Amino acid sequence: MEKKGVTRRQFIKYAGATAALLGLSEAVIPDIARALEELVTTGKPPVIWLQGQNCSGCSVSFLNTNYPDAAEVLLDKLSVRYQPTVMAAAGDVATGVIEETVAEMEGKYVLVVEGPIPTAEGGEYCTFGLEKETKDLDGNQVPKDKPIYDWMKEVVPGAAAVIALGNCASFGGIPGANAEVTGTTPVMDIVAEIDKKKPVINISGCPIHPDWFVGTVLDYLINQRVPDLDRYKRPKAYFGKLIHENCERRAAFDAGLFLEDWNDANPDMKLCLFKMGCKGPVTYADCPIRRWNSARNWCVGANAPCHGCAEPTFYKDLSPLYEPLPDINFLGLTPGVDTLGWIASGVTAAGIGAHYLYKQLGKREDNGESEGGED
Amino acid sequence: MARIVTIDPVTRIEGHLRIDVEIEGDKVVDAWSSGTMFRGFEMLLRDKHPWDAQQVTERICGVCPLVHGTCASYNLDDAMGVDLPDNARVIRNLCLGANFIQSHVLHFWHLSALDYVDIAAVVQYAGTDPGLQALKGKIAYLVESRDAYPFLPRYESDDYLGDPELVTTLVSHYVQALEIRKKAQEMLTIYYGRAPVFVGTIPGGVTAHPTVGNIAAFRSVLDEIRFWIDNVYVPDIVTIAKVPEFAPFLTAGDSGGNYLAYGGFDEDSSGSEKFLPPGYILGNDVAKVMDFDEQKIAEYVKHSWYTDDCGERQPQDGKTEPDVHKKGAYSFIKAPRYDDNPMEVGPMARMLVMAGLELAGKQPERLMALIKSLGLEETINTLVGEGKFGILPRHAMRALECKLIADQMDVWLDQLEPGAKIWDKKGKEIPGESQGQGLVEGPRGALGHWITIKGKKIDNYQCVVPTTWNASPRDKNDNRGPIETSLIGLPVPDPENPVNVVRCVRSFDPCLACAIHVIHPEHNGVKEFRVV
Repeated sequence: MEKKGVTRRQFIKYAGATAALLGLSEAVIPDIARALEELVTTGKPPVIWLQGQNCSGCSVSFLNTNYPDAAEVLLDKLSVRYQPTVMAAAGDVATGVIEETVAEMEGKYVLVVEGPIPTAEGGEYCTFGLEKETKDLDGNQVPKDKPIYDWMKEVVPGAAAVIALGNCASFGGIPGANAEVTGTTPVMDIVAEIDKKKPVINISGCPIHPDWFVGTVLDYLINQRVPDLDRYKRPKAYFGKLIHENCERRAAFDAGLFLEDWNDANPDMKLCLFKMGCKGPVTYADCPIRRWNSARNWCVGANAPCHGCAEPTFYKDLSPLYEPLPDINFLGLTPGVDTLGWIASGVTAAGIGAHYLYKQLGKREDNGESEGGED
Repeated sequence: MARIVTIDPVTRIEGHLRIDVEIEGDKVVDAWSSGTMFRGFEMLLRDKHPWDAQQVTERICGVCPLVHGTCASYNLDDAMGVDLPDNARVIRNLCLGANFIQSHVLHFWHLSALDYVDIAAVVQYAGTDPGLQALKGKIAYLVESRDAYPFLPRYESDDYLGDPELVTTLVSHYVQALEIRKKAQEMLTIYYGRAPVFVGTIPGGVTAHPTVGNIAAFRSVLDEIRFWIDNVYVPDIVTIAKVPEFAPFLTAGDSGGNYLAYGGFDEDSSGSEKFLPPGYILGNDVAKVMDFDEQKIAEYVKHSWYTDDCGERQPQDGKTEPDVHKKGAYSFIKAPRYDDNPMEVGPMARMLVMAGLELAGKQPERLMALIKSLGLEETINTLVGEGKFGILPRHAMRALECKLIADQMDVWLDQLEPGAKIWDKKGKEIPGESQGQGLVEGPRGALGHWITIKGKKIDNYQCVVPTTWNASPRDKNDNRGPIETSLIGLPVPDPENPVNVVRCVRSFDPCLACAIHVIHPEHNGVKEFRVV
């Protein structure tokens, strides 16, 4: 193994970091080390990473991963064959890699899709590479752009699993707010159109937290199964807890201490940002515990409200982002914001159940067995 | 015989870009660029709360959301008549500076270096450095197992750097650079919460207070990054610029000699004093920097898929109504021109404007002092003499700018006052009707946002972005845009491997996420095309 550039000691180190990332006990480290070692021996799992109506924010956020870091993921863990932001190849040399992988690695590659798929007008709103058929609007012979919608039809059937990366790939997100024009469609709906049984995992967030993505990929590779998902196909390990319930400023909410002027934001006071539009009470993600950018900070930590970017309702149905959530119905009471604190503290057992708020916002039909997250 | 070569996708940039070049003999004789994806920002912002603009426009681009968020904040400040507190101005400078660092480092190493370095040469490394030996082990295994994705395959070329010692060192710096850009993002989260896509700047100021503790934390990361810029980034650029095989790229890839900077990083509350000075240069006459006047910007559409009525307008009065069957059109990008001249924007434009002002004695020597200290004065003088600045100077200017900004951030940290105001309440008082304008410099160049508020809601929101300037098509006088011009004459000995074309395009750091706005004839709605 050492001549392959990786020592057993390094495997144990990776395994320890991976166990921590997945929230597992140290007892499983030897198992993980063995699994990781096998991955290298049998060849790294191939990944095709397509970009739809994306902004590359999730690619950039992925580069912020720590344990393992981006170089380890790219060199040691995965065979990232097509990734437009980092790959050396361009043009037909790049798209040729997709075609090769689909032909040679059927059933073995993981498909990552960053950004949703526009379907209006034959998918012309997002294209890359060239179609075999090459005629322009006037019938002249020219190289014609190939829609990502067509790429999906070729790449999805042979994928072992599909990971939708980011809120927009998962649910439509920001480009989804203009879906009536471009036909922006969540990746899971496109996949279902092609193969109803193909497993899809939604890593939400705008952008993703790198741990949510890297942790899920490693979990999938080590355990060879799709992790527990909530009704929106998000891994429960990362999207199972309400931000509001784990917020470091929850005490201020319960005490009715709300931030109303940013100049009053004495760093020692930790005022609640509910009145400034915080969407923590309706957002399932582990940001308060995991924090961002090597755990250095997170949105609320910077005195700014959560915008709910991990939720299917982001962005359109959570706008205006800096206005308080509409009055919330707690057990038949509809308190104003000023009385919210003590009411909420009185019903902490129920928390602010997400189901209440989804009903209040009334935007998303319940189509699964369980509620979003584990409230 | 002429031959058209299509490169689609152009990778290692932000977004979806297609480049077509016409090659005659072994040289490019003509070039076209097109953006191939769009979303619809202007439409989804219409009738929204003005504060949403800051969060939504950040999602235009995931590589520099911070620039759009900052620009939107200045735009909204302007619309609401905000009196920006000094603490807020300085924190915005610090975080924007951190984003410059992460973007410039990402661009040189992760988006560009693979065009110059033969990563497979690492296998021949014969040195004894244990870190480099370990790297060799990994790369050798990948190459032997024929699974060196995503670094191979690539366009093949005879002139990749192949010296094993040098290449192995540079590849190890590629890995270090991943850590440095990550740390640059960590640094800005001290005030902005998280990155990319952050939350700390709002209309009226910023959300987080400076404290003695967080200033020290910021400085400790900054010191580490500055050390790396001084000892790795800048020296590596100088090393590559001096490789004899790359000498043609000192002048090849010149965009035509016109440069424009709006100016960036306010040094006082009026915004009149800026760390990166505004100005423009025509015909590579660096010694003659002229004053920037935004009224001289106009957009043309003769070769763009818009009705003729959209042409010859200033951005504030911009109109965008497409006509996809228009004869002679080949791009969704309009052609912005300054006084009818195509202009390159970005680090090269800013640094040449700064150099020109310093040479004329209008600014204290900062850039020229740095250039002298690096022993590059002669090279610069030669380029000025030849009247051409090509691909390598574009990379070098980016690195020098990165150092100047990182050093200045240390000065800005000293200007923070714990306990003083960070926000002006007027930011939250939305006027019934108002207009705003925000002009900033981002890593890729001059960026402008414009807002019209009616009934306390967004009536119209416009962004004119750096890549629109650089990747614009021909204008009403049939003058090519800067990237198109830069490609003309480039040697392409092997049309199957047009590595020089992508080297040149990438040197501009194009960002396709940047947007133009389109009324679609069939849907009659406002759309936004992502363009180069």
